[in-house]
Amino acid sequence: MKDEFVLSKTNLPYWLRQLRKKADLIGPLRSLNGDIIFSSIVNIHEMILDCPASIPSPKEFLFPQKEEMYKFSQKGVNTLNDNGKRIIFGVRSCDISAIALLDRFYGGLLEDDFYMSRRRNTCFISIACNNPDPTCFCSGLGTGPALKTGFDLQFTDLGDRYLVQAGSREGLRMINGFMHLFLLPEKADRDDQYEVLLSSQSIFEKRITLENVRQKILAGKVPDSFWESVASRCFECGGCVYECPLCTCFNVIDWKEKDNKGTRMRLWDTCMFKGFTKMAGNVLPAGKKIMRTKRWYFHKLLYYPEQFGRFGCVGCGRCTITCPGRIDIATIANKLD
Amino acid sequence: MKKISTVCPYCGCGCGLYVHVEKDIITGVSPVRNHPVNKGSLCVKGWNCFEFVQHPGRLKYPLIKKDGVFKKSSWDEALDWTAENLLKVKEKFGPDSIGMLSSAKCTNEENFLMMKFSRAVVGTNNIDHCARLCHSSTVGGLAKAFGSGAMTNSIDEIDSSRVLFVIGSNTTEQHPMIGMHMLDAVDRGATLIVADPRKTQIAEFAKIHLRHRCGTDVALLNGMMNVIINEGLVDLDFVRRRTENFDDFEKIVMRYPLDIAEKITGVPAVDIRRVARIYATEKRSMLFYSMGITQHITGVDNVRSCANLVMLTAHIGLPMTGLNPLRGQNNVQGACDMGALPDVYSGYQKVTDKKARKKFESAWGAKLPSVPGRTLTEMFDAAGGEIRAMYIMGENPVISDPDASHVTEAIKKLDFLVVQDIFMSDTAELASVVLPAVTFAEKDGTFTNTERRVQKLKKAIRPVCGAMPDWRIISELSKRMGYEMEYGATHEIMEEAALLTPSYGGILHHRLNNFGLQWPCPGIDHSGTTFMHRKAFTKGMGSFIPIDFVPPAEPVDGDYPFILTTGRISFHYHTGTMCRRTSTLEREEPDCFVEINPADAESLGIKTHDRLSVSSRRGEIVVNASVTDRTPEGIVFIPFHFREAAVNLITNPALDPTAKIPEYKVCAVNIAPVVPKPDEEGKFFSRRENR
Repeated sequence: MKDEFVLSKTNLPYWLRQLRKKADLIGPLRSLNGDIIFSSIVNIHEMILDCPASIPSPKEFLFPQKEEMYKFSQKGVNTLNDNGKRIIFGVRSCDISAIALLDRFYGGLLEDDFYMSRRRNTCFISIACNNPDPTCFCSGLGTGPALKTGFDLQFTDLGDRYLVQAGSREGLRMINGFMHLFLLPEKADRDDQYEVLLSSQSIFEKRITLENVRQKILAGKVPDSFWESVASRCFECGGCVYECPLCTCFNVIDWKEKDNKGTRMRLWDTCMFKGFTKMAGNVLPAGKKIMRTKRWYFHKLLYYPEQFGRFGCVGCGRCTITCPGRIDIATIANKLD
Repeated sequence: MKKISTVCPYCGCGCGLYVHVEKDIITGVSPVRNHPVNKGSLCVKGWNCFEFVQHPGRLKYPLIKKDGVFKKSSWDEALDWTAENLLKVKEKFGPDSIGMLSSAKCTNEENFLMMKFSRAVVGTNNIDHCARLCHSSTVGGLAKAFGSGAMTNSIDEIDSSRVLFVIGSNTTEQHPMIGMHMLDAVDRGATLIVADPRKTQIAEFAKIHLRHRCGTDVALLNGMMNVIINEGLVDLDFVRRRTENFDDFEKIVMRYPLDIAEKITGVPAVDIRRVARIYATEKRSMLFYSMGITQHITGVDNVRSCANLVMLTAHIGLPMTGLNPLRGQNNVQGACDMGALPDVYSGYQKVTDKKARKKFESAWGAKLPSVPGRTLTEMFDAAGGEIRAMYIMGENPVISDPDASHVTEAIKKLDFLVVQDIFMSDTAELASVVLPAVTFAEKDGTFTNTERRVQKLKKAIRPVCGAMPDWRIISELSKRMGYEMEYGATHEIMEEAALLTPSYGGILHHRLNNFGLQWPCPGIDHSGTTFMHRKAFTKGMGSFIPIDFVPPAEPVDGDYPFILTTGRISFHYHTGTMCRRTSTLEREEPDCFVEINPADAESLGIKTHDRLSVSSRRGEIVVNASVTDRTPEGIVFIPFHFREAAVNLITNPALDPTAKIPEYKVCAVNIAPVVPKPDEEGKFFSRRENR
């Protein structure tokens, strides 16, 4: 299913305003600090679409850092599923690729109710990236700057108008009913789109092929001394995992209140912490930093391809921005390649 | 989903972060990417700083203790009762019988009000806060040398410096985002020198790591300066033009040739010489220090020695060139700036200075006391005697002060104790009345970070049911004690502070939107100061102060053969009021431990996880052993976050004579394995008490 339309920039605010009547519209805004943040849109014209990457990744809308799961009391348990409808506008292609993998993880053999309930109620309108950051490397992984499949709606900025591609039934539904706002594309539109993608490709500063790194690790050519030097720079902040659009670790905790009431919730967790795999008697199977650093990299570079046929990295560059020790995946891959 | 830009409540880095809010519930945080300090990164505490805010254990209503039991009360009742009792004590014993502890965790506005409350409402200069325990030696020491006690440079200058000399700071763990800038500088080719008895993470990146004996910093620095003078590396022009008292200083330094410095510090002479040469010959040299320098009976001496070194080599007054004390708490710089100290008003204007006092008296319409008040440590010594009541805002001295059992005893002797906090702390347990305050996410105000950057804090959620911002509590209390404090919002308080504080003259809320301003900022058209002491020192000429080495107060002996040094770890913060209610942090480091060198461990037959008794002349705690070569032979290290094994039960309350800072970093202890004993039922293992 792939339908293409053209939407004039003049019509965009009207269309979004109509969509907003049925859902919380979330999009990229420039904060007072100059950062790009995704939050609920009050003034549609304030959205910034040719922006640098946001921190954190849009996984926060499907799998928030803190999510209340159940309220319990002596009377019983009350499940707290989030059923709020959301439309997230302006998401980058890399993040859409990541969500496709998250869907396979949380919606696979064991379905995660909390994730899926949010997922069913969330539509993503992605943007073919025309302004990649210096930290981005999705082009080498096939996860951007534009996607061929896997999106709901994909926008390409053609200057005065957008080329809109619908890739799913949900995507089409957002357009249906507003057909009077959209035109059908002509050859000039497709030519313009191709030019945008070409010029976007030329902006990338990083050329990283994770496959070479994977082969090197598999061939045993990366000694432990290398990982030791990587681990020595780790600040144990957890930022790489918190910001990774693909990382799925969480921890479950209970908050007990008076009168035998309480809340069970889950919080983002990271395999970079020694306590993540702590066992009874304070035994720490991954007590040394090098074990955890290796595990994270091996998971991304070796186990993900085995399990899902894709790398556990979409090249969004967020770990490069956030890692205080500069041992992010792009830096390490550059060193190994 | 809203994202509110605010400032992290943990350490002095002052990182910018967004608090994510959905339906008045905090769902997470994320770093500010453009922030000059953290640049899109956060440490583990920052990433998890939201969890305690809506914790069910938060205090939600005032508590009044009657017949030894806390009873729930209304705000009116609690405030009336507090005002009544404070007035009673004031009438009976005089205003100086009341002591106030302000808080480095609260905003500038709240500290300013607390200071006003103490001086104008109660009428005493007995106001202090935990800076007494961390950087009082810096405030005093640098005031005398330069005229102003704060970081001279900015954090984002670190990347471009050429030499980093870090002494007594575990930077990557305690100020992770400053550590990040340091590693960046090293990656760009800067030379890192670390002086620390422990092999900290930052020391692993050092070109030279000096592991001097605990408490011998003066000898080490004098040794370095001796080399610099003897080898002609002194910047004579600078010494002549900008400083005074060089000759007296030189005489003392000449008493520390390398062989003597080596004997005292245990550092090879050749290393001292190398470090002296590297530091002296590179202009873009930044010196960093922290608690390893300040928490000694010679804290002020240590600080002044650092200042001497900086002046000797003219490493000050330029970008990437200066002396940088790293302040611990998120707003300890601000609490000092706002005058929550017994001897100064805001902006370090002395209470003994008639002109300054007159200015404050006319602004506040009250007669102010002229004699400096008691310090934090002195207040507890006088408790039950000359101090009859205390008002403690956002501090937990029962865990944080040295010889903690002494503090507990002292507090019990008080007639009346008010504690204002967000959780039931160990200190609050002893209070006569507990007033529930709010966290960083529930109020407006400003924090001043370690680089003097005054940043705006923004309210993200409504206060949890029943709690009130500290500044409102203080103004309500003040009203009930007969002094009107009419403030509609925090920016009005800041306006008053700016009016009365020269260095904050241009610091007004509406000017702080773009990552704040760095003081000194004397006027509304001033854009702040990124590096200090340009062209002249704050006090005019910089003063060399001759410093002789004095050994620590408590040497090791046959009964207590180990040196105990204390500090923090990256997953926890101070007495744990916030971080120990954060599941991730608590899971990572749930138990107290003592680090001991493998050689010492072997001679005592100790393995990691063994239970050890660590005892000093003041008490004993039982902790798990952690055998590691991070800590050198003869020294053991214990973090001070854990109430169940509070290391401050055994630390030495010996004080620096001028700054009154206790010697947390050195005391003599004995170590012995704990032999497990069966309980009454004959069992060796019993269920651990639920925390």
